[in-house]
Amino acid sequence: MDAVNIALGVLFTTPAIFAAFAGVAYGIVGGAMPGISPSVAMALLVPFTLTMDPTTAIILLASVYVGAEYGGSIPAILINTPGTNAAAATTIDGYALHQQGRGGEALGISLMAGVVGGLVGVIALVVLTEPLAKLALAFTPPAYFALGILSLSVIASLTEGSLVKGLISGVIGLMIATIGSDPISGVTRFTFGIPEVYGGINFILIMMGVFAVSELLIQVSLVDRERAGRDTRIKLPSLKSWKRLWLPVSVGSGMGIFEGITPGGGGAVASFLSYNEAKRWSRHPEEFGKGSIEGIAAPEAANNTVAGTALIPTLSFGIPGSNSTAVLLGALLVHGMQPGPMLFTQNPDVMYGLYGGLFVANIAQLAIGMLIMTPCIWLVNRPKRYRLAIIYALVFSGVYSIDNSAFDLIIVLMAGVLGYVMKLLKFPMLPLVLGLMLGYMVEANFRRSLMVSSGDPIIFFQDPISLGLLVLSGLMIFGSAIWPALKKLYRQRTAAS
Amino acid sequence: MRQVVRNTLSAVALSLFAIAPAAAQEAYPVDTVTIYTHSKPGSGSDLFLRAISAPLAKYLGANVIVDYWAGGSGAKAMANLAVAPADGSAFYATTPTHITTSLLSKPDKTYKDIDYIVNFFYDPEIFYAKADSPFKTIKDAVDFAVANPGKAKWGGASAGSLERQILEKIKKAKGAEVAIIPHEDGAGLLISVLNGTVDIGVGELAELSGQIEAGELKPLGVYMPERLPNLPDVPTALELGVDSDVIIKFRGLAGPKGIPAETVALIEAAAQKVLADPDFKKEYEKLNLIPGYMGQEEYRGYVGKFVESQAKFYEDFGVTAE
Repeated sequence: MDAVNIALGVLFTTPAIFAAFAGVAYGIVGGAMPGISPSVAMALLVPFTLTMDPTTAIILLASVYVGAEYGGSIPAILINTPGTNAAAATTIDGYALHQQGRGGEALGISLMAGVVGGLVGVIALVVLTEPLAKLALAFTPPAYFALGILSLSVIASLTEGSLVKGLISGVIGLMIATIGSDPISGVTRFTFGIPEVYGGINFILIMMGVFAVSELLIQVSLVDRERAGRDTRIKLPSLKSWKRLWLPVSVGSGMGIFEGITPGGGGAVASFLSYNEAKRWSRHPEEFGKGSIEGIAAPEAANNTVAGTALIPTLSFGIPGSNSTAVLLGALLVHGMQPGPMLFTQNPDVMYGLYGGLFVANIAQLAIGMLIMTPCIWLVNRPKRYRLAIIYALVFSGVYSIDNSAFDLIIVLMAGVLGYVMKLLKFPMLPLVLGLMLGYMVEANFRRSLMVSSGDPIIFFQDPISLGLLVLSGLMIFGSAIWPALKKLYRQRTAAS
Repeated sequence: MRQVVRNTLSAVALSLFAIAPAAAQEAYPVDTVTIYTHSKPGSGSDLFLRAISAPLAKYLGANVIVDYWAGGSGAKAMANLAVAPADGSAFYATTPTHITTSLLSKPDKTYKDIDYIVNFFYDPEIFYAKADSPFKTIKDAVDFAVANPGKAKWGGASAGSLERQILEKIKKAKGAEVAIIPHEDGAGLLISVLNGTVDIGVGELAELSGQIEAGELKPLGVYMPERLPNLPDVPTALELGVDSDVIIKFRGLAGPKGIPAETVALIEAAAQKVLADPDFKKEYEKLNLIPGYMGQEEYRGYVGKFVESQAKFYEDFGVTAE
């Protein structure tokens, strides 16, 4: 009951409700603009949250995530261009429906599926985060070390592209994480005598660079796309269509819960998997690809569920489940909060306020989603050169305002060029971000463990949690290394027979 | 604890950026005094300053507002303060952070370029262990470490923190062979104590009182010259003979160099009245702050000693950055 009281207290005595509404509205617009992923939209907003109290700031950012996941489906349906990666699956049936003149209906399904999926995600968040955070209390240094290794190996093997590229990307992140002071002795490393980096490099700066700046650099080289028609009106699904929609929405939400908790999955993986599953379970699989309403409901429910569930590992263990939650984690740190078991005892108002704010955000999404349609399409249709110029200005003024440091601008630009080159060479970005965020955790806990055991590495195999997680990571890496070979062998066999 | 801080100060938060009611204006040389902090809005230091600004305004006879020179862990604040007008209108809320920054990050302007005016409070540090720990006092823990070389594990906050410095000092004085394991911050250390990774930890009472009241932790000793009013049964490290003198975290005001002596005297007088104010006293006792008034002369000497002991610790242990 205490938790409910705190949540209500936060909602009615702070600007939390406004933050939730504003966050969703901004998120929908951001998500609708191709090139602005939810993580970019959130990163752009972080500097503006610095003067807010932590609860309002975190609710605002989490609401942006919610809104952006729906917003991504607008251009996916209207112009066959996903606004976000997670909306890529929605283009298949969404655009087909739009061509049949049923674009408004498609948008309505996307919105409703998103609201239902989002609410399921928040419920999962409320139910699972606190027990997991309590479990984290039993994590000793060797267990935390093993958890970091597992997260890195899951990510390296699950993200798109080759295993080797994933590992390289992760190592680049780990290397950036070593800049600054040594976690155990406090001696500075790789700072080249530059005092600005003595304390390490702020995660947010790297994320602004590799997500926002690199995307802007790529956008410059692309031609302007088709424009969206301005006369589309949202039509919410009727009771009759709900009879067909509940199954794909449940499939999407279930997949969203699973993928959100597993680091490395994220919304894009969840929406494609749930699209395939919904097709398999559907009574009308033949409609998929030609304008099936189920083909929109499943991925859109999935990516909005992930917006809630990806916060679970972020808040309980400090391991972000997606790019967007990595930005949110960076923002938590900027506001002086450490994720983990202490978050509930030290900042209960932030935690329960966030739950309340997310409920509000998901419900508000319904009204805002309908109202914001027209201005949103207008903004998306502005010429690219104006849009990009404004976003550049936002990025750099925002970065400067974090610490009023011109040096930070240099870091962001360098990270942007790094991200641009990596994207051109098709390196996945998530391993880099996770390497950066987990580098400290892995290194500090490795050395702390050895200090506890007086230098004996057996401690990593004596701790049961550590042993289990390390075995799992071994299987993960080994498995993904031999998986392509196994698949090939199987195909040859079946072809031969 | 933060809960308490928030509750106590939610009233203050209502009047965000509010100017405390000005009493008799003619007494102080300027109408408005600004206290700058390097902490972010909403942080513990910020809330503390907002709480103190009302009584200070009352006794100083001037408006007192809180503003931010955030970033660089005090580096920016020292640079701005060094060139601020020396008429008693601008002060910097001091904590040991700016000294750590001066020594380790070597900014252009350091603690040498500013002057110390008054001290208000000490932040008491305590030794603590899990509630079911076999140790009753910090002396038991130290004796165990001396008798069993290589077996004991003590936890400190970050590598360059005062908490680690305290433990290293005791370890050296007693010749104990014990692993002192640094953590990212006080919260990380608390988890390590709770799950048994380390035997004991050191931290600010303000951050620990919640867990102590909940019965999860027990205090083993106080790192202060005298016992604390909120923990009257817990002996001090000096009583137990664990250490011979103590280094304490402080909270006061610094200003630019060259503030006239008469102005300083007015602030000193107001500071003593603020600490004696019965309403404010209730507030700071709840926050586990120990009044530690020092006038300018005493405060300058105290900070000088603090800098010396920190610099020596960093040199002895090769710490070059936080």
